[in-house]
Amino acid sequence: MADPARMKPPASTAPEPKPEESEENEVGNKGPTGSEASAESTSQQTVKDDEKSEHAKEATTGEDEEEGTSGLNAPANKKLKVDPEKKKEKKQKVDEDEIQKMQVLVSSFSEEQLNRYEMYRRSAFPKAAIKRLIQSITGTSVSQNVVIAMSGISKVFAGEIVEEALDVCEKWGDTPPLQPKHMREAVRRLKSRDQIPNTKYKRTFFH
Amino acid sequence: MAEEEDDPTFDEEFDDSGNGAEAGHGKRKRLFSKELRCMMYGFGDDQNPYTESVDILEDLVIEFITEMTHKAMSIGRQGRVQVEDIVFLIRKDPRKFARVKDLLTMNEELKRARKAFDEANYGS
Repeated sequence: MADPARMKPPASTAPEPKPEESEENEVGNKGPTGSEASAESTSQQTVKDDEKSEHAKEATTGEDEEEGTSGLNAPANKKLKVDPEKKKEKKQKVDEDEIQKMQVLVSSFSEEQLNRYEMYRRSAFPKAAIKRLIQSITGTSVSQNVVIAMSGISKVFAGEIVEEALDVCEKWGDTPPLQPKHMREAVRRLKSRDQIPNTKYKRTFFH
Repeated sequence: MAEEEDDPTFDEEFDDSGNGAEAGHGKRKRLFSKELRCMMYGFGDDQNPYTESVDILEDLVIEFITEMTHKAMSIGRQGRVQVEDIVFLIRKDPRKFARVKDLLTMNEELKRARKAFDEANYGS
């Protein structure tokens, strides 16, 4: 398995990119380099989208609501044709702004920040191990998309725990590295917010 | 005496569980130690996180995957895990939902791009 700490030169990733690795390899390219396939540049764009896609989506949903309320005057059919195109244009523009901002941000990182950002983008769970784990639970085989989805949300889950644990660590006046007590307190907090799935114990209302 | 008979079995238990005080999955081999270390650093921890913390996180992730798999098996098509089931289960959590959507969209794009690339090569 590839060592995430080693940065590959852009050219070597062009011929056979895997979905997860090519996304993470974009860290090495601060801006669009002279890559052969146009797909590379679109994947770069979607990669930058992916970074702050939540904020972009929040922004666009905010705008969508405004459009909806103001569009009651025009005839319904015409409004339906115009709206999706307008929404798409606005969304693309917001994405491009996001990409620009990300590029400016990443170009101003210190070396330590760059290292950490590289680890953040490149680290991933090994697909084979995840597939083996899921198949040992189901007993049947699972498709590749399931493995991709599951490793993706597992990474987000791990991130949520680490972020909460860092909050706890700061609140308690400790310093990183994180200790097990921080992790356990983080889990306790996330559980009270229902962010950790638990089907073992049924919740009783009144005790 | 009875106590002396009990002691050897007691010692055996403590000898076997060499993986520390964590109850439950202490005996399973560690699946994600290397990757989780890099991940914790990326998410904000120290460059060398504690091994105990990495172990706790691994147990949590495996439990998460197990729970999701069991839930997915119980909805939609019974006994199978499909992408739609995962997306349905995750619908309330905005971060995870957005992430899954992005990953699947990107995967489709890359597949299409690779296919177009191969066909272009095949022609020349």
